[in-house]
Amino acid sequence: MIKKLFLTILTLIVLSACAPTQAETTELQPMTFMAGFKPQANLPFVGAYVAKEKGYFADEGLDVTIEHSAGGEHLQLLAAGEVQVTTQDAAVLLKRRADPGLPLVSLALIGQKGQQAFVAMADSGIDTPKDWEGHTIGFKGTPPPDLFAIMEAAGVDQDKVELVNVGFDPRVFTEGKVDVYPAFKSNEPDTIRGWGYELNMWDAADFGVPTLGLTYVTTEEMIEKNPGLLQKFMNAVMRGIKFAQENPEAAVEIVLIYAGEDADPTHMRYMLDTELTDAQSAVTDEFSLGWQTTEQWQALHDMLVRYEAIAEPIDVAAAFTTQFLGDR
Amino acid sequence: MNKIISRMNGAQKNIKISEIPPKETTIKKASGRLAGLGLLLAVFLLWETAVYLTGTPVYLVPAPSDILAELAANLPRLLSAGLVTLAEALAGLILGSAIGLGLAVLITFWGRLEQGVMSLAILIKSTPIIAIAPILTIWLGFGHAPKVIITALLTFFPVLINALSGFRSVDTAILDYLHSLNASPQEIFSVARWPSARPYLFAALKVAAPLAMIGAVVAEWMGASSGLGRQMWLAYTNLDMPALFAAVFALTLLSTAVYQSVVLLEKRFLFWQPNS
Repeated sequence: MIKKLFLTILTLIVLSACAPTQAETTELQPMTFMAGFKPQANLPFVGAYVAKEKGYFADEGLDVTIEHSAGGEHLQLLAAGEVQVTTQDAAVLLKRRADPGLPLVSLALIGQKGQQAFVAMADSGIDTPKDWEGHTIGFKGTPPPDLFAIMEAAGVDQDKVELVNVGFDPRVFTEGKVDVYPAFKSNEPDTIRGWGYELNMWDAADFGVPTLGLTYVTTEEMIEKNPGLLQKFMNAVMRGIKFAQENPEAAVEIVLIYAGEDADPTHMRYMLDTELTDAQSAVTDEFSLGWQTTEQWQALHDMLVRYEAIAEPIDVAAAFTTQFLGDR
Repeated sequence: MNKIISRMNGAQKNIKISEIPPKETTIKKASGRLAGLGLLLAVFLLWETAVYLTGTPVYLVPAPSDILAELAANLPRLLSAGLVTLAEALAGLILGSAIGLGLAVLITFWGRLEQGVMSLAILIKSTPIIAIAPILTIWLGFGHAPKVIITALLTFFPVLINALSGFRSVDTAILDYLHSLNASPQEIFSVARWPSARPYLFAALKVAAPLAMIGAVVAEWMGASSGLGRQMWLAYTNLDMPALFAAVFALTLLSTAVYQSVVLLEKRFLFWQPNS
């Protein structure tokens, strides 16, 4: 009898040792985050990479799958409910809300300034936007409203410039096919300088043009149906961004896990530093990183309407929320 | 020699004449077309119903009625864009076909070139266009030239392969006969190889012509100021799916027209062929 009891107790001890702990049995909530481009050190991507690798998602009870959108399909997948959060440039977010009416909502405005600037070779004699006259000015796909805003602010005669669709390859600029090139500030200037060229650079924000950068974006439906999930996600990614701010070198190492061995850590660091700088503004100084105000969105919206990037005015208050931005 | 050549031509024509099948009746043709149209309508109806029943939003999958409305509303714009694409495609097709045909002739006359030329051709054929398109833009600028070259790169291969097969498909008895008459390689080419290759060339053109339209559109998609590819790219980035599909419809119509033109040419030049 005693032997049987002893065996039973022993079996129970062994079984309990093999059984998962309480924490392990708690099921993580699955969700998908899709970065709006290839893996690199764009700050909203970094926030997610760090949150995943440092266990911040797990701390929040989330099991986040990180995907990347190489072909620009992320907004469709978000609208279809295949992904729960993605990233998107603020101006495009407003344009897609206006047409075809996607119910997109910015959860946090990570880029407090626009992503794009215009560059010319330092030795080209093009030292101010006024010097653009008589030259070819590139655009990526469609001429952005901030290009027209810069030209208006700097008094450039638009009849004296030739606009050319140059796509996304900066070599067309270094090979002299275009005089002024539209560059993603955190990326291409560093690449072009790395090839041995000196640049003059113009940022629309420096001409008083209201531009905004990358946001974390979800849909109105997600906010209505699953605010808890979004809160957990935002807690984790904003914690990830804070980590990157305090430990940029460690953050770059994490980026390289996603960007692959071929990625240049120095370039990734440049991108991260540029985006960390642009993530700060008077608004974030007053509130917190990622904060967004009606004034910011309204100014961007008015600029888009003025340069006919949006046909009809829309309600910007519905395009963003600060409900998921705590003090963390 | 000339007498023999004319007898050879006569003999070939006589052989072909015996292969002419009975002509299809007009009624059969009309019923075939009706069946095709009916199938197309059925697919559209099914598509329309599926979109309506599932409540799929227009930015994911548009209904055919949305696409046709868009097509009707923007017909002049799509037509002018289509003409740009068509011009680039035809220029690329002519260039690609000339290169393919030229290489096939070279290999036919100088067999030793075959391995080198074919290795190079396969290398070019296997290179993803997306990888070389930016380089072509860097070399040739933002105009139509890179689009024509890309289209030519896509279309030269089927012409090369088919032309080569055609030049080599001559009956060995005819070749032996010509050799016995001490015919020169040039004479053998013009009397036997070239006529034998013509059906193969039209088969190649039937493959290459729609490919040329796709090539031009892909090239425009990667960066252009005009053309159907540009319209598609704009529609895609604006998530304007009816506009995207309308451009696809326009491309399909143009591709069909180009293909049918090749078929008509084939009927004109190869009227003795059973399939013509």
